[in-house]
Amino acid sequence: MKIIYTDVLIIGGGLAGLRVATGVKDRGHDTIVLTLIPPKRSHSSAAQGGMQASLANCAMGEGDNEDVHFLDTIKGSDWGADQEVARMFTHCAPKAIRELAAWGVPWSRVARGDHTVIINAKKETITEKDEAHGLITARDFGGTKKWRTCYTSDGTGHSMLYAMDNKAHEKNIEIHERLEAIALIHENGRCYGAIARNLMNGELVAYVAKATTIATGGYGRIYSVSTNAIICQGIGQAIALETGVATLGNMEAIQFHPTAIVPVGILTTEGCRGDGGLLLDKDGYRFMPDYEPDKKELASRDVVSRRMTEHMRKGKGVSSRYGDHLWLDITILGRKHIEKNLREVKEICENFLGIDPAEEWIPVRPTQHYSMGGIRTTYQGESQTLKGLYSCGEAACWDMHGFNRLGGNSVSETVVAGMLVAEYISDFCDKAESSVNVQSATIEKFLKREKEKIEALLTKKNGEDAYVLRRAMEKIMMEKVGIFRNGDDLQEAVTELEELYIRSKNIEVFRSKSRAANPALVNAYRTQKMLKVALTVAYGALLRTESRGAHSREDYPERDDANWLKRTITAWPDENQTLPTVSYEDIPISNMELPPGFRGYGKDLTIHHPETKVRQQMVDLIKEKLEKEGASRHEVQNALMPFLKKLPKKYQKFNERLGDIHE
Amino acid sequence: MSELEKPRILKIHVLRFDPHNPNDFPHMETFEVEEADGMTLYIVLGEIREHLDNSLKFDFVCRAGICGSCAMLVNGRPTLACRTLTKKLDEDITLAPLPLFELIGDLSINSGAWMQGLNKRLETWIHDKEQELNINKLEERMEPELADEIYELDRCIECGCCVAGCGTIQMKPDFVGAVGLNKIARYHLDPRDKRTDEEYYELIGDENGVFGCMTLLGCEDVCPKSLPLQSKIAYLRRMMLRTGLKG
Amino acid sequence: MNQFDRNVTDKHRYKFDAMPAKLDFIQSATGLFLALFMWGHMLFVSSILLGKDAMYSVTKFFEGEYFFGKSYPIIVSITVAIVFIIFIVHALVALRKFPNSYRQYRIYRAHMKQMRHSDTTLWFYQVFTGFVMFFLGSVHLYIMMTNPGNIGPYESADRVVSQWMAPLYLLLLLAVEFHGSIGLYRLVLKWGWFEGSNPKESRKRYKKVKYIITLFFLTLGLLSLAAYIKIGLEHKERVGERYTPTSLMPSQK
Ligand SMILES: Cc1cc2nc3c(=O)[nH]c(=O)nc-3n(C[C@H](O)[C@H](O)[C@H](O)COP(=O)(O)OP(=O)(O)OC[C@H]3O[C@@H](n4cnc5c(N)ncnc54)[C@H](O)[C@@H]3O)c2cc1C
Ligand code: HEM
Ligand code: HEM
Ligand code: SF4
Ligand code: F3S
Ligand code: FES
Repeated sequence: MKIIYTDVLIIGGGLAGLRVATGVKDRGHDTIVLTLIPPKRSHSSAAQGGMQASLANCAMGEGDNEDVHFLDTIKGSDWGADQEVARMFTHCAPKAIRELAAWGVPWSRVARGDHTVIINAKKETITEKDEAHGLITARDFGGTKKWRTCYTSDGTGHSMLYAMDNKAHEKNIEIHERLEAIALIHENGRCYGAIARNLMNGELVAYVAKATTIATGGYGRIYSVSTNAIICQGIGQAIALETGVATLGNMEAIQFHPTAIVPVGILTTEGCRGDGGLLLDKDGYRFMPDYEPDKKELASRDVVSRRMTEHMRKGKGVSSRYGDHLWLDITILGRKHIEKNLREVKEICENFLGIDPAEEWIPVRPTQHYSMGGIRTTYQGESQTLKGLYSCGEAACWDMHGFNRLGGNSVSETVVAGMLVAEYISDFCDKAESSVNVQSATIEKFLKREKEKIEALLTKKNGEDAYVLRRAMEKIMMEKVGIFRNGDDLQEAVTELEELYIRSKNIEVFRSKSRAANPALVNAYRTQKMLKVALTVAYGALLRTESRGAHSREDYPERDDANWLKRTITAWPDENQTLPTVSYEDIPISNMELPPGFRGYGKDLTIHHPETKVRQQMVDLIKEKLEKEGASRHEVQNALMPFLKKLPKKYQKFNERLGDIHE
Repeated sequence: MSELEKPRILKIHVLRFDPHNPNDFPHMETFEVEEADGMTLYIVLGEIREHLDNSLKFDFVCRAGICGSCAMLVNGRPTLACRTLTKKLDEDITLAPLPLFELIGDLSINSGAWMQGLNKRLETWIHDKEQELNINKLEERMEPELADEIYELDRCIECGCCVAGCGTIQMKPDFVGAVGLNKIARYHLDPRDKRTDEEYYELIGDENGVFGCMTLLGCEDVCPKSLPLQSKIAYLRRMMLRTGLKG
Repeated sequence: MNQFDRNVTDKHRYKFDAMPAKLDFIQSATGLFLALFMWGHMLFVSSILLGKDAMYSVTKFFEGEYFFGKSYPIIVSITVAIVFIIFIVHALVALRKFPNSYRQYRIYRAHMKQMRHSDTTLWFYQVFTGFVMFFLGSVHLYIMMTNPGNIGPYESADRVVSQWMAPLYLLLLLAVEFHGSIGLYRLVLKWGWFEGSNPKESRKRYKKVKYIITLFFLTLGLLSLAAYIKIGLEHKERVGERYTPTSLMPSQK
């Protein structure tokens, strides 16, 4: 029996996991990072477009600050987000990006002088100020008022992840690659670590820790077509769920990205549209202005994806053997721009489509992209129900994205959450209550259980084929829990998934019986876990009879604040149940800085909560009063919804901006 | 491929070996897969695993040519399998794992551990001797062109193609390879890294470093990210020579 | 754990060592010298194609007759000695690059076969030809050094034919032309000279130039060798007779 002790166990070596690791290490705690793959290969590296942080350096970002970023984020979330968390996030994003700049990310910079850009299909000239020269620049992204998305060409995630991993090397952080967490060790509402399986030799290892952090990313691969890496299978969420104690939040909130290439589903970044690319239909007609005259191609992601689907349903899609699609036209940006700022896009088009995007249009359609839901935590990243279990990054729902996250807010979230959660975890580890007093019998029990599960998969006779179940699940999710949802389809989806889940208990690994590296075995146990995750998504979607953000019900097109201003909480308390247990957590309006309002897309169908008006009046009153008194924006903010105190001390200071210095 | 044409039947020859099985030895195995439109080796291998042999080991993560997991020898040349379209290849396709790296099984290699070792050896992080960083203040400025130039070298995805494509490192495994040299070039260019030329010399000023490179340029020709390896190694060689002669 | 860990610990015992830099420099400098020298050498040897007199004058030129009014073969001896030393230094330094065991040799061969990559293959030829020259070049240089006075249209031709140097020269010629031009090509890339704005394009150009140079000097060398063989065959009966230039021939006086 192999047991490894450490202070902080981190499951996941993406941006979020690595940032937590460096943070706790800095605070003097021992840490081990488990990852399926070398950290630099994590899916964070795929983020092309950029990271949102309100630096306000570039001309089109002038006047930006935390307040504007906060506003965009909450609107984007369709008021589903936790506003305090969103505040904490927007406050820390500039710090995170500056830290990364010092750690080696070569952010693209502002160049003084005139630049020609494409805005709304027209060439315009932007003049960058002298004093901004050499500072981090930003580009336009969907759903934002200002140009706020900072980037490194179109390899933002890559350069961030590399800088972060290198930092981890510098700090001598122990990283155990190809170790997959397959269960959490817990007892009496307290998490003590995880059981992990070595994917190279099959060995099971128990990692025992004061604090365990799940930073395993999203669960997009429960869909058959997704922009996610193929390891984004929701195993982190599943093992939390399988404790029966920890809960998941808003699992039904799934984002579809408007522009993934057809058929493989590889993403072309939002930067394409941010930089001026257009969406065209089969007649080469630019249709977005008809639907969203204001933001057009740069409306929020969920909106653009729905509009595209609507347009295709009207028969305006280009038909192909892989189904309908639309065109993304970036030829108007010119070869030079494409080869410099959208090079990955160019490479992808060349390698996977065999086309030159400077000459030809790119076939695209909306594709599963991001999981807003995840392990439900407090603002400190700790599970609400399982002590000692933490989570952050895409894996978590702490909840700053609500029902739709803004492009560029996600990599930003990973590093900010990583920064913060590392401090909270360190605080926890500094306290006596964190000490691990778990009996070795308990650890052994978990090890034994996992071992038996694996043996069962390998020795079962006449069982089910995991691949068959998995493909069926992916298809159901794609067809019935997609962009537009309705009660009938969802009901079918839940019934069918439940059936698959029951069958999955009887999975057999055919032929390939190795106990060491064995992809068939891995697929088998992951399929069982993925089915649970899929059920939480489909079931949550079925029960939520409203449309909010990315969750769009054709039979309930209204956003129903009166009944649904809530977070979906899913749990799986009993091994034997075949559907998750769903409950709800209210999102209180009474302390909102930005009470629910109209997002500004399409017709306003919101059914308002009676409290909204009350709160709005109060907010207006406070604002008016303080502004009259000449209070600063920080003071106004503080009066509406104080949050600074919740931040670790070292991150409470205000951010400096160019404007502050030169005014 | 037009709808009328009969799709080709691809013959995929895979070098198989399970080091965990004492009875196994490296051998070739052939699978037949019907070609489809826009098919990549990622799809081919997935189909083989799902329908023909579920024990076949290989690594894909992003399947989009971004993460560097799936490098393997395709007809003898190292490349990223996920973005290799079958229509650009003959019917007979030979696949083998990259040499030099620890073999996990079949086409799966442990290049990550190797890269981790390399990163530690070359200390591929910003060496900033300054005091505490103040992240509330404006960031340090950098010339836009310089930032672009650094990113250009930062694009390496640690796929290991250049290592597998370099005859020198095959013979002399202590050689840092193009991937390592490129990293040093990247940090040398970066004004935030305060290491001196002498310190860089200590890292790569020997036969295992830049002077070990025999300018075979396999690296340059197989790098999937088209990094300017040739000219960066040359640059380092000049710089290290100068440093060496001075020192 | 992995092969780099040793180096990590080694680092702390490290002392600044300029030797690797120097050796690389020496290798390139001697290579460059030899390659350029060989261009001159081949032009000199090929003067035979312009006629015996031409070659004779060139020989005399190198023996210093035009400067001192009299020929001093010792000048040739000294020159050869210097070249010989550079040649040996180059060979010794380049020896580092040789596969240092049969295992390494096998690995390289297998790699080369698998990659089918021209610059990888060319390197093998370079090493192989270098190895060949080690022997053939030494013989030639030794003979030249010890027989400095025996250079001339007839003397050389006799050596080629009657003293059985022809086969050796043929091999040496092939070796040196391939080795030299591959070496120069590699030298240019290795130090990044004349990279231009697009190094990939430049490299393609240099590769073309390389082939042209090889072809040019090989043709020149083969023609010269043929010329020497022809003269040598004609002169077979009178081996040992020294050449008298036309201007000094009695009949023309
Ligand atoms: C194509 C694409 C483009 C994107 N572009 C942008 C963008 O431009 N801007 C933006 O803000 N966001 C973008 N996103 C979203 C963003 O990249 C992700 O949300 C974010 O990187 C997630 O980071 P993470 O650290 O939470 O997880 P990941 O980076 O996914 O890392 C997960 C880690 O967990 C490990 N892991 C998983 N399961 C286990 C297990 N069971 N045991 C052990 N380890 C495990 C994995 O090995 C991995 O190291 C994009 C996403 C995609 C798919
Ligand atoms: C004993 C004879 C010789 C041997 C053993 C020898 C060996 C070598 C080897 C092994 C290399 C490759 C080094 C590397 O890849 O880094 C080399 C390079 C070179 N050789 Fe030779 N060589 C010999 C003679 C010559 C001669 C006669 C010439 C002139 C034509 C020459 C010109 C060059 C050049 C220009 C290079 C490139 C230098 C460099 O890469 O730094 N060599 N030699
Ligand atoms: C200073 C040094 C050298 C001198 C003076 C010299 C001189 C000569 C002379 C006079 C000949 C004509 C044939 C003969 O007389 O035998 C010759 C031929 C030749 N030499 Fe040299 N040589 C020198 C160095 C070298 C070196 C370093 C090499 C290559 C390693 C070389 C390769 C050859 C070859 C290949 C031929 C035959 C060429 C032909 O016939 O086309 N020589 N040399
Ligand atoms: S330099 Fe190129 S080939 Fe080498 S590891 Fe990096 S990306 Fe791969
Ligand atoms: S292939 Fe190898 S020898 Fe040098 S030029 Fe590239 S590292
Ligand atoms: S799978 Fe990521 S590069 Fe091929």
